[in-house]
Amino acid sequence: AQKAMPGTSLEGIRPTYIYKVVLLGSTSVGKSSLAYRYVKNDFKESLPTVGCSFFTQTLNLEVATLKFEIWDTAGQEKYHSVCHLYYRGAHAALLVYDIANKETLNRAKLWLRDLEKEFLPDEIVIALVGNKVDLAAEREVTTEEGEEFARTKGLLFMETSAKSNHQVNDIFMAVAQELLQREQGKTSAPSPRGRSTVDLRESRARTGCC
Amino acid sequence: LTWIFLPQGYLPANMERRKLTLQRKREEYFGFIQQYYDSRNEEHHQDTYRQIHIDIPRTNPLIPLFQQPLVQEIFERILFIWAIRHPASGYVQGINDLVTPFFVVFLSEYVEEDVENFDVANLSQDVLRSIEADSFWCMSKLLDGIQDNYTFAQPGIQKKVKALEELVSRIDEQVHNHFRKYEVEYLQFAFRWMNNLLMRELPLRCTIRLWDTYQSEPEGFSHFHLYVCAAFLIKWRKEILDEEDFQGLLMLLQNLPTIHWGNEEIGLLLAEAYRLKYMFADAPNHYRR
Repeated sequence: AQKAMPGTSLEGIRPTYIYKVVLLGSTSVGKSSLAYRYVKNDFKESLPTVGCSFFTQTLNLEVATLKFEIWDTAGQEKYHSVCHLYYRGAHAALLVYDIANKETLNRAKLWLRDLEKEFLPDEIVIALVGNKVDLAAEREVTTEEGEEFARTKGLLFMETSAKSNHQVNDIFMAVAQELLQREQGKTSAPSPRGRSTVDLRESRARTGCC
Repeated sequence: LTWIFLPQGYLPANMERRKLTLQRKREEYFGFIQQYYDSRNEEHHQDTYRQIHIDIPRTNPLIPLFQQPLVQEIFERILFIWAIRHPASGYVQGINDLVTPFFVVFLSEYVEEDVENFDVANLSQDVLRSIEADSFWCMSKLLDGIQDNYTFAQPGIQKKVKALEELVSRIDEQVHNHFRKYEVEYLQFAFRWMNNLLMRELPLRCTIRLWDTYQSEPEGFSHFHLYVCAAFLIKWRKEILDEEDFQGLLMLLQNLPTIHWGNEEIGLLLAEAYRLKYMFADAPNHYRR
């Protein structure tokens, strides 16, 4: 019945959530391309990312509006000390590897370890993303291998191609759904721990009603 | 063009000695190539070479000049030799961009038409070798002054971003407070300004014009750049103050509309940077380097 009254006050109580999402992974696995595909629905050769770049995307879902702040990080190790500053306070992380380069999956596993040091499991939604499925002929990591690793670690998992636009929207949508689900879990049973983390920007990540 | 004489200390002023030094420097560079370049596939250098090899085709992807294999090989050699001779920093993404202006300037001496579309196969081996060696030495000279930008944890950049913040807080409190209000941190946009010396924010022709001034300015790249960054930021104050949320501000700051910029805009930017520099040069307590 609520849905049947567009434009009324009920619209007003549909909450808006702002979520910080980081893209992590080795150099040249397609982090920037995934962000670009998701936000602009296009593909282009991108320059190596320096530090981090920032994208936004708004999702209007039935139950809420989600604003993603996407931080696309540089893959080179050198930048890790800097990227650390960016993923502080993240609500979700996409760990990206290249299915045609086995080493990049190992790197993604190391990134996961870093995240596990930084966050409690219920503080962050993590998705493992095997990108570049358009390079099927050069595949070095089987779907099962990625899937299996994600399952044992409790991560969302999807294989994508930023180039051929395969499942890029889907993985962000899966992350959105998971974030919303956790949000709803929180409101129905407020956790005693609350969101007492020290990140200054945390406040912006709470419900911001219009 | 006189760029090759400008980087301070690269060449002596005396004409005759200058020619000899140039000759010797070029030979020295190709000596490095002979001695070290084969080691790129050895285990201890493999990662460095791999990263460079991945980045080169992604350097200036929209300019045809840089898609030519001959040019890409030149860049790979320059960067690899520089990286292994500077193990404290090694190769860091962004350094690949820094070769570009030198290469283009030296190449322009031999090219009448549009450099960005020039086919380098038209040049003799000797000419290409000179361009390569001169680009290497000029880039080395540039990096000598800013090496702490690229060592572990990039302290030079952190320091400069901090300095920029402090400077802006003094010259334009309104912009500074606007950032604070919307929780924008300087590192979020200015990291790249320092790491790539504004190259990612400006068209190539503007970078060349800007660097022309940096080279004739003592500590141009390491210090004067700071004032240029401050002037560059303030140039957009109206657009900045018009944005009223974090997302809008970040999107603006990462995509500043300079695509049509030319010499005139850079001239104004430099004039403003000089004004700031002199304003603060006599007031060391206002702003500590």
